[in-house]
Amino acid sequence: MSDHKDGHKMRVDGALLRELAELLATNDLTEIEVEDGDRKIKVRRDPAPVMAYAPAPQAAAPAAQAAAPADAPPAVPVDALKSPMVGTVFLSPEPGAGPFVSVGQSVKEGDTLMIIEAMKVMNPITAPKGGTIKQIMVSDAQPVEFDQPLIVIG
Amino acid sequence: MPIKKLLIANRGEIALRIHRACHEMGILTVAVHSTADSDAMHVRLADEAVCIGPPAAADSYLNMANIISAAEITHADAIHPGYGFLSENAQFAEIVESHGICWVGPKPEHIRIMGDKVEAKRTAAKLGLPLVPGSPGPIKTVAEARAIADEVGYPVIIKAASGGGGRGMKVVEDEDHLESAMMQAASEAKAAFGDDTVYLEKYLGDPRHIEFQIFGDGEGKAVHIGERDCSIQRRHQKVIEEAPSPVISAEQRARMGGIVAKAMADMHYRGAGTIEFLYENDEFYFIEMNTRLQVEHPVTELISDIDLVREQIRVAQGDGLSVTQDQVVLHGHAIECRINAEDPVTFTPSPGLVKNYVAPGGMHVRVDSGLYAGYRVPPYYDSMIGKLIVYGTTRDECIMRLKRALEEFVVEGMKTTVPLQQKIIRTDAFQRGDYTIKWLEQWLEQERE
Repeated sequence: MSDHKDGHKMRVDGALLRELAELLATNDLTEIEVEDGDRKIKVRRDPAPVMAYAPAPQAAAPAAQAAAPADAPPAVPVDALKSPMVGTVFLSPEPGAGPFVSVGQSVKEGDTLMIIEAMKVMNPITAPKGGTIKQIMVSDAQPVEFDQPLIVIG
Repeated sequence: MPIKKLLIANRGEIALRIHRACHEMGILTVAVHSTADSDAMHVRLADEAVCIGPPAAADSYLNMANIISAAEITHADAIHPGYGFLSENAQFAEIVESHGICWVGPKPEHIRIMGDKVEAKRTAAKLGLPLVPGSPGPIKTVAEARAIADEVGYPVIIKAASGGGGRGMKVVEDEDHLESAMMQAASEAKAAFGDDTVYLEKYLGDPRHIEFQIFGDGEGKAVHIGERDCSIQRRHQKVIEEAPSPVISAEQRARMGGIVAKAMADMHYRGAGTIEFLYENDEFYFIEMNTRLQVEHPVTELISDIDLVREQIRVAQGDGLSVTQDQVVLHGHAIECRINAEDPVTFTPSPGLVKNYVAPGGMHVRVDSGLYAGYRVPPYYDSMIGKLIVYGTTRDECIMRLKRALEEFVVEGMKTTVPLQQKIIRTDAFQRGDYTIKWLEQWLEQERE
């Protein structure tokens, strides 16, 4: 938590640190910085890597056959459709065929967007609402986990 | 076939325990987890992690389809179920095997037999394990009940065949009360379960819970690794376990251990198992068999120097047992205290953010826990947050070390049962090893007054 530099005298106020840490925790913040003259204290904690797109480096998409899902998009759109199961994504009805949908295309509620294969069963993933495909966040033949964002319909 | 990548179908400390054994064997690990456990220790340490469902265990840790899919997409070649969840689910074991994945557990048929109360007893009797004496089947007449009660000796208990949870159960102290108790039990059973079938057993008033650790190779070889005394319980939940039992002699251990090991060899049992007995007046009575690793397995590990998870993996991949019975050498004493996120007086669960965590250390002190400062104990699962296991060359030395280790245990941010454990191990009853399965609840009752 505190940066430690050799030959540098720094008095650490334990009580203050604890207080800051508690503030951090109780308010669900990730970082607090306090400046007092030339003394600066920064307390931070790693945000719970929960709903993040790639939870933690070691928790990255398994098996990684397909190229990992692009260069980590900045954030997960809140309205992204998430995977209801663990399995492998197929973006087209059969190998070599065109994809079910592509970015910019408009879809109706109930249209098939992709297939997730789990235990040899093909599960169609359908549009929960009509709209335009804004973003496809998975690639063909990519393994996905539960709750992984798949597609954004705007 | 050597296992290369193993999927751990569990959470918490046992998931971490399995991960550790795997990495020590050069096996890669896949953690599966619910959305509530994304930042759990075993998820962070595993080589790969797959989210398998929402917080509710029924939709995640019990979700067979998602767990099998997780194994498939990660190309895991084995699944270890830990304890609880799917560990004693014969159907899951079958599905795993039918997918060509190595199941680190017993044969599905053995899980099924031992999971069925009646079938388990029948099998145990056939294998020569001592049962609680009683009627061989349902009793229909009072005369029949009287004859059996005379034979096994009073007190006896009348139980509903389809019963459970204490309903349809009547303890009978003497012959005078037999008839009315039998009628009552039958009518209670009829009302509660729609079935008035009852049977009769010898009633054990104040027994200890003593269980034997066994291991089989599935092909006719089996060993026992001594017993554990798990009598310190509250509401059928074990609180403290120790090995060896303070009341079992070397002769009793060798005799009973020999019987259970032979039974498991004859059964061609595969992997780790525990045979649970009630123990009263120097006699053992079979209650059930757990076809899995137990929470309290570390006390056995500490007195035998056998890594039980490693042994499970060895057997699963076909390497057989690492030891023969004469190579199992038990030494010293080990005690485990379960640490729960609960109020130590009211036992109200106390999940929340771990603000500070300092685990005890030093010689012969082991802590199996997935806790770390900053971790949030989710409210959805079991309240056990860790286990403290301590070894000593003698029981007294072990208790002294346990005392000092509990003094070092710091978990800030939630209530834990550490203070309760500190009190229990200071009681005369515990120090003398003089306790039964009823002792803890009686002592707690006295403490409240």
